[in-house]
Amino acid sequence: MSPARSRTGNIPFPSSSEMTYIATFYSHFGAIRYKKLCQLHGMAATLMPVPRDLSSSCGTCVRWEGDAPCPEPSCPEEVEQIVQVLEAGYRTCYRAENS
Amino acid sequence: MDLRKEKTSILLAGAVIGIIASLLVFFGNPANMGFCIACFLRDTAGALGLHSAAAVQYIRPEIIGLVLGSFLLALGKKELSARGGSAPLTRFVLGVFVMIGCLMFLGCPFRMILRLAGGDLNALFGLAGFVCGILAGVFFLKRGYTLKRTYRLPVLEGRLFACIQVVLLVLLVAAPSLLRFTQSGGGPGAKHAAILISLAAGLIVGALAQRTRLCMVGGIRDLVLFRETKLILGFVAILVSALACNLILNAATPDTYFHLSLAGQPVAHTDGLWNFLGMLLAGFGCVLLGGCPLRQLVLSGEGNTDSAMTVIGLMAGAAFAHNFGLASSGEGPTANGKIAVILGIAVVCAIACLNTFRKKDA
Repeated sequence: MSPARSRTGNIPFPSSSEMTYIATFYSHFGAIRYKKLCQLHGMAATLMPVPRDLSSSCGTCVRWEGDAPCPEPSCPEEVEQIVQVLEAGYRTCYRAENS
Repeated sequence: MDLRKEKTSILLAGAVIGIIASLLVFFGNPANMGFCIACFLRDTAGALGLHSAAAVQYIRPEIIGLVLGSFLLALGKKELSARGGSAPLTRFVLGVFVMIGCLMFLGCPFRMILRLAGGDLNALFGLAGFVCGILAGVFFLKRGYTLKRTYRLPVLEGRLFACIQVVLLVLLVAAPSLLRFTQSGGGPGAKHAAILISLAAGLIVGALAQRTRLCMVGGIRDLVLFRETKLILGFVAILVSALACNLILNAATPDTYFHLSLAGQPVAHTDGLWNFLGMLLAGFGCVLLGGCPLRQLVLSGEGNTDSAMTVIGLMAGAAFAHNFGLASSGEGPTANGKIAVILGIAVVCAIACLNTFRKKDA
């Protein structure tokens, strides 16, 4: 897993085709809204508990397949972090400032 | 770790925790109370003089161990992270009322399982209330409930709560004359395992709970939200292993570890309605807090100051409960306690509504 890349608002990684991403949130409702956002942009998204190897917190995350870490140019404020799922672990694509 | 491994590890952790909880009774803890986060925080509050109920005063090393076990494992796994700033006073108030709900029922969700494993059928009323409380909380979660985000804090903030536990341990071992203790035979506070046994049990359970994210509330919440059984498997494993261990101890020793009945259960009353409502309040409040009292201790150990504030709220709630006659006893609930539980449900509802349907902050 690569080290965290911390930036607010903009997604630091360029788009790549059909990757799997997981986003974690500060609230369950934030996850519901993000899932709808993904679906609005034609990406199949699923709500699920945060995987243990991603975080020690036990909240809700959204997992989706897409060509970008976020369907929109800037991340909603409810997003805590977005990671790309790799065979060997995760690569952090976005982390909210001061989180 | 894939989902299958996560399920296996939580099943094993739950089984170990259930056995430890049962053995703690064998080593001296009150019956059906190998672990009870609410009772043990209440006893600790009493030992520190925050309330004067002489029957329930003792610094419980299990609590110290739970926090330090979580702290040490999080430190070793580089998961220790000082965080906070998510509505700390709201969490304090929720903690107060969760404790009042628990002391109406006479136990936290963890003890509710252990009471079931000891054959206490009153806990079924508590379990029904607990599930209803969680469903009420989930209703608000789905409609936008949030206490807003947490923020990274200075490193010391994340370690202070663990340091406080060390201070409590030093007080217990080196300066007990400064503390209040229940006299021998004077109540549940006088029944305890040896300090080292209690501390070791807490350390092991704290580490296991940190690793598996075991949470009595999270299990039912995730089942409702995602049809995901992982966390609830821990709940079930504790029940099964504690039950098995109790049955073995029942057969192998002259003492009673399992007694299937409503009446005559240790540190319990038979008022089904108030057992139900007490745990409804506890379950509702815990969903809004994001975890049961055990989980709050574990998160405090990981450096979450919001959870530490919740634990302080739980201790303040215990002090209020005993100073104002809100806590139940084996005789049943008190009139003050009934008023406090109804008030608590109203306050928790108000907190849920205000943090769900309010207009967007400026």
